[in-house]
Amino acid sequence: MAYYDGLFDRLGLRDWCDQSVETAPTSMQALLGQLGGGDTEQTIARIPFPSLDTLHDSCAQIPQTRDMTAGVENTFLAARESLKLVLDPITQPLSWMLDGALWLFTTTPWFIIVPLLVALTWYVARSIGVTLFVAVSFLFLGFIDHLDVALETLSIIFVCTGLSVALGVPIGIAMSRSNTLQRMIVPILDLLQTLPTFVYLIPLIFLFSVTESKLYGIAIILYAIVPVIRLTDLGIRLVDPDVIEAADAFGMTKRQKLWGVQLPLALPNIMAGVNQTIMMSLAMVVIASLVSAPGLGVLVLRGIRNLELGVGIVAGFGIVLLAVILDRASKAALGRIDKNKNAH
Amino acid sequence: MKFKTFTAGLCLSAGLTAGAAYADCGSVSITEMDWASASVVTSVASFLMTQGYSCDVTVVPTTTVPAMTSVAETGQPDILTELWTSYTEVYEELVADGKLVELSKVLSDGGVEAWWIPQYLADAHPELTTLEGIKANPDLVGGLFHDCPSGWGCDITNNNNFKASGLAEAGVERFQHGSGETLATAIAAAYEAQEPWFGYYWAPTSVLGKYPMVQVEMPPYDEATHTCNGLEDCATPGLSAYPRSNVVTAVTTDFSEREPDVAQMLAKMSFTNAQMGEVLAWQETNNASNEEAAVYFLTNYKDTWAAWLNDDARARLSALLQ
Repeated sequence: MAYYDGLFDRLGLRDWCDQSVETAPTSMQALLGQLGGGDTEQTIARIPFPSLDTLHDSCAQIPQTRDMTAGVENTFLAARESLKLVLDPITQPLSWMLDGALWLFTTTPWFIIVPLLVALTWYVARSIGVTLFVAVSFLFLGFIDHLDVALETLSIIFVCTGLSVALGVPIGIAMSRSNTLQRMIVPILDLLQTLPTFVYLIPLIFLFSVTESKLYGIAIILYAIVPVIRLTDLGIRLVDPDVIEAADAFGMTKRQKLWGVQLPLALPNIMAGVNQTIMMSLAMVVIASLVSAPGLGVLVLRGIRNLELGVGIVAGFGIVLLAVILDRASKAALGRIDKNKNAH
Repeated sequence: MKFKTFTAGLCLSAGLTAGAAYADCGSVSITEMDWASASVVTSVASFLMTQGYSCDVTVVPTTTVPAMTSVAETGQPDILTELWTSYTEVYEELVADGKLVELSKVLSDGGVEAWWIPQYLADAHPELTTLEGIKANPDLVGGLFHDCPSGWGCDITNNNNFKASGLAEAGVERFQHGSGETLATAIAAAYEAQEPWFGYYWAPTSVLGKYPMVQVEMPPYDEATHTCNGLEDCATPGLSAYPRSNVVTAVTTDFSEREPDVAQMLAKMSFTNAQMGEVLAWQETNNASNEEAAVYFLTNYKDTWAAWLNDDARARLSALLQ
């Protein structure tokens, strides 16, 4: 006797309910019921919520929640082939870029790659303090034998943030120009930021071969692209209307306004977005390691799995060090842009 | 309500007749490892303990190493089940120190670890069941060796075997998965597309229950080679098959003294690989939860589990056993 039996009887649905009854797996509760332990006494206080599973107990025609999730799965699996046909070729370059970057960073000898990275820092930051810090950090990572894995992580981050910026800035610009587009995209951005990372990893695993690097590349980009889109949009919208009016008065075209006025004025905001994007892709490195991304995340996972506390802490510290390096370098670059702007 | 008075009466009369020997067991904690077969074992055990021995069971989700560390540090949880002992030196130490008592081999056939290829691949190209065959045709297995994630016990052993096998020179790349989930997905995806696959996996698992795989032949198990292969800096990696893994139920010494009846039941609790494989395959095809798989076992293998119980527990569960 399930609770809602009476309801279906009264509605005259009993015949419909009992036709072609498929036997579902016995639940633990049913088994306990067989033991005689199931207390079938029904009181008002114990009305079960009329959920799919409860209703299924009374009427076998009503699908269980399990059937619903299976339905979602089957729909997804049915759409998978066509999705794959479209997405696979589009995303293929990402695999090549990631593999190429990994190969480049790991096969170049350390005495070339480290000075190159330090020189790059100097080029973007123009700050002796930051450059020195980066150099010392890399030497330290090398000294404790973590340089290779740190470089793997760094190469993934370069590719993913590069792509995030290349895709995110145009999206942000488009959003700033159309309120409709903004209303459409903002919920998607909210979704990407709040959805537990694992939830979108699952469909990704099904869509792409797990041995391909684009799997983690996409996971990182989806998560990290959000701030740069948001802040580009915000930056352009925050440009002083008087300045735009002046630009209009000069008879500037839309394109001229964008390149000559809006983007330069929004640059500090966009750079702040880039900085956040870098930080977020670094945050994804550990989770991406679950879908076979190489680098420091693998060591962190190993530390967790085997309770090798030292391995985990040192690798975690390595990630923090990379984060500080990237943060300082990009902040210094941002500071330089601000200074240039103020000098005009 | 009628039932409750009935149980109370039963307990009272039992208490009068059997005395201390029939005392209800108190609270018990048992591990639930994060793979399917372990979850079935735990569900079955906790059902029998709750219903048969009136224990108050707490299930602790965990994995091998954290569970063992917890026992070493705090003496909890009471029962560790489906413990694969081959990778954990800590286990031997804990048994030697008298902190843990090994009760039974919960999977009586032991665990099988090996390198596998899918059945259809073996049918199409029988030569691929040997390492020589794979080395001669690396393309037929997709040029990849799917290895277990870093941090798993098999990681180092596989790597040393891989080094010794010369597969790398033959053009097979070792791909290390990030997690057990992607390793399983790789098998499922390969099966669906009937694509080549070659890599490490273990039985009894729902994956191997659902997707028939063929072992790749390896030189027989050699203790010295295998031990060396298990070390990260093994100087002379050699080829050796995996030994049958002991998969045991162990309890804390304290628990075995506190609840001798339950410990006796746990000592008898053991599944054959065939039974476990059948249950897991049923679970996979019916999309059932771990708990339902346990119920499936409890309803279909009554004779098996009835033999584990003592007379009192059998009496309590008699409604199910008819």
